[in-house]
Amino acid sequence: MTELNQLDLYKEMVRIRQFEARVLNEYHADKTPAWDIGAGLIPGEMHLSAGQEPAAAGVCAHLKKGDAITAPHRPHHFALAHGVDMNAMMAEIYGRTTGLCKGKGGHMHLFDPENHFSCSGIIGQGYPVACGHAMAFKRKGTDHVAVAVAGEGAANQGAFHESLNLAALWNLPVVFVIEDNDWAISVPRSASTANTSNADRAAGYGMPGVRVENNDVEAVFEAAGAAIERARAGEGPSLLEIHTVRLWGHFEGDAQAYRGAELETLDERDPIPAYAATIGLSDDQIASIKAEADAEVDAAVQFALDSPVPTADDALLHVFA
Amino acid sequence: MKDSRAVGVVANPASARDIRRLVAHGSTVTAHQKLNQLRRLLVGLGRTGVERVVVMGDRSGIATGLLEGADRPSGAAWPRVEIVDEDLTGTAADTVNATRFMVAERVGAIVVLGGDGTNRLVADECGDTPIVAISTGTNNAFPKPLEPTVAGMAAGLVATGGLDLDRVAKPAKMLEVSCPARQRTERALVDVAILNAERVGSGAIWEPGTVEELYLCFAPPDGIGLSAIGGHLQPVDRHEPIGLAIRLTTAEGASASDPPTQRVTAPIGPGLIAEINVVSWSKLAVDQTITATTTSGTVAIDGERMFRFDSELTVTLRADGPRVVDVAEAMDLAARTGLLAHAPANGPDPAQSSPEQTTN
Repeated sequence: MTELNQLDLYKEMVRIRQFEARVLNEYHADKTPAWDIGAGLIPGEMHLSAGQEPAAAGVCAHLKKGDAITAPHRPHHFALAHGVDMNAMMAEIYGRTTGLCKGKGGHMHLFDPENHFSCSGIIGQGYPVACGHAMAFKRKGTDHVAVAVAGEGAANQGAFHESLNLAALWNLPVVFVIEDNDWAISVPRSASTANTSNADRAAGYGMPGVRVENNDVEAVFEAAGAAIERARAGEGPSLLEIHTVRLWGHFEGDAQAYRGAELETLDERDPIPAYAATIGLSDDQIASIKAEADAEVDAAVQFALDSPVPTADDALLHVFA
Repeated sequence: MKDSRAVGVVANPASARDIRRLVAHGSTVTAHQKLNQLRRLLVGLGRTGVERVVVMGDRSGIATGLLEGADRPSGAAWPRVEIVDEDLTGTAADTVNATRFMVAERVGAIVVLGGDGTNRLVADECGDTPIVAISTGTNNAFPKPLEPTVAGMAAGLVATGGLDLDRVAKPAKMLEVSCPARQRTERALVDVAILNAERVGSGAIWEPGTVEELYLCFAPPDGIGLSAIGGHLQPVDRHEPIGLAIRLTTAEGASASDPPTQRVTAPIGPGLIAEINVVSWSKLAVDQTITATTTSGTVAIDGERMFRFDSELTVTLRADGPRVVDVAEAMDLAARTGLLAHAPANGPDPAQSSPEQTTN
């Protein structure tokens, strides 16, 4: 199992946060009118992952080249933590030809075959894909694992249950990660889900189910490490629900009136300053780590801005119908 | 002569699935949970010297799940797993056949995961092979809820001969039910109930108003099920040489031909507490035969309705039931004899370091 490196976990979380913060700024910078999601340099909807960094950093610390992740509509944190190239990712978000999908996918459709990373705007549909990856890994006799990530709302989708069933039946090396941020867009889990813990649902399929509370990156690291090691050893699938927090809106432009008083306490639940305090970082260290992350993000934004905008002719390339 | 390195395992795939999940608050114990309990059991067996485990086959994937698990890293500490070589029926006959097979294989102990019914079937066939009874049923009086890791250790120590059976595995009491018209004798580990119900139906008893006579091997006041009724009239321990015979009535007041003399508040099922009208009760001596007052009705054995009868019926208490391992007693004896407290791997000889070994 990977050794715990507190500084690495912290740096990864900061790297993700600085990326998301910059996208947030750039997204809104020239969105005129503000309600037109097609306007501006970054077109389309935008779902950012601020607050959920512990899940990505804790899980991906155990992954190696060739392991697979399928992420949902809120994919950036897992993409970055899994080693997807930041420049190509930013260019995709900007819709440039140097992007992961040559600018045709946008932020919800990041496909990186080299790193076995994919995501989808269709909720819950990464689960079967992860089972496919895992089945291939198993048939090829490798010790690779597939990680399927989605939110707690996605666990009410049929695809989730179908995937758990097949993964258990075929003893696939897959880890199902549920990021429970308490909100499926604007629906609280208490209004949508009979089980108070999705970890309980694993029992129905005979696989271990673990719930990690408190958005604690080290707790995620330990549980994910055990789940991934188990999958690599051929012990089968498992389910990991991580109770996390969505610091920002479901999408950019979401006024979040439905969250009420909770909005006022969100800053206190930010996992990044909390972890800096836990591991005893000085202000200088914090500033230096942030500056390092900003430099990487600056370069990625510049790369995107310098990259060509697709032409009308490009629209006819790489299509099959 | 027993094979001291072999242990049998009977896990009833059907336990904890009956109607009491609908009419009371019975929990469901899934096949996956049973498989998980067996995994823990096998670690306990493997670490106490058992080399071979003979497991009853089933159609719920429990035994095959164990076979698959044996090849994984987490199964490295297990004994060798074999599945009983008998055709499956998907009925109680599988338990009977598996127990016979295990006895023929001379296993040193049989671990039973199930309820009172499963244990009764094993008890009928196991002869002098000690049984370790782990409850995975609904409201069990006979098997106890045990951590399978520890139960596996106790079973392993019993099988490998480390413990005195007369101390840790005393014979259980049983009740024999004979009905000449049926030409066979049934045995109960906990209770025999005579009901005025017409049908065997779904098996489990959950309407206490239908019980007219009740015979008990033991009656723990902290038990659940019909035996709890006796527990609040006259507590009877598992190894005390008596049983109880109780007559009940559903009728209230003086108009009844057999008016109740006592009313017992008894937990007869999970989340089910009933007020039971008792007409009379008496102690049963070992080998004493009682003829039932009722001459027609339905007989329930260990809480499950089994057969109808229309003639004389007798009940006899016996003291020569199966040897049942008391896990707490077994682990206590293991502790007192230092069976599991070793010197460090490269430390001093334990005989030299024991404070009690002052002279020889």
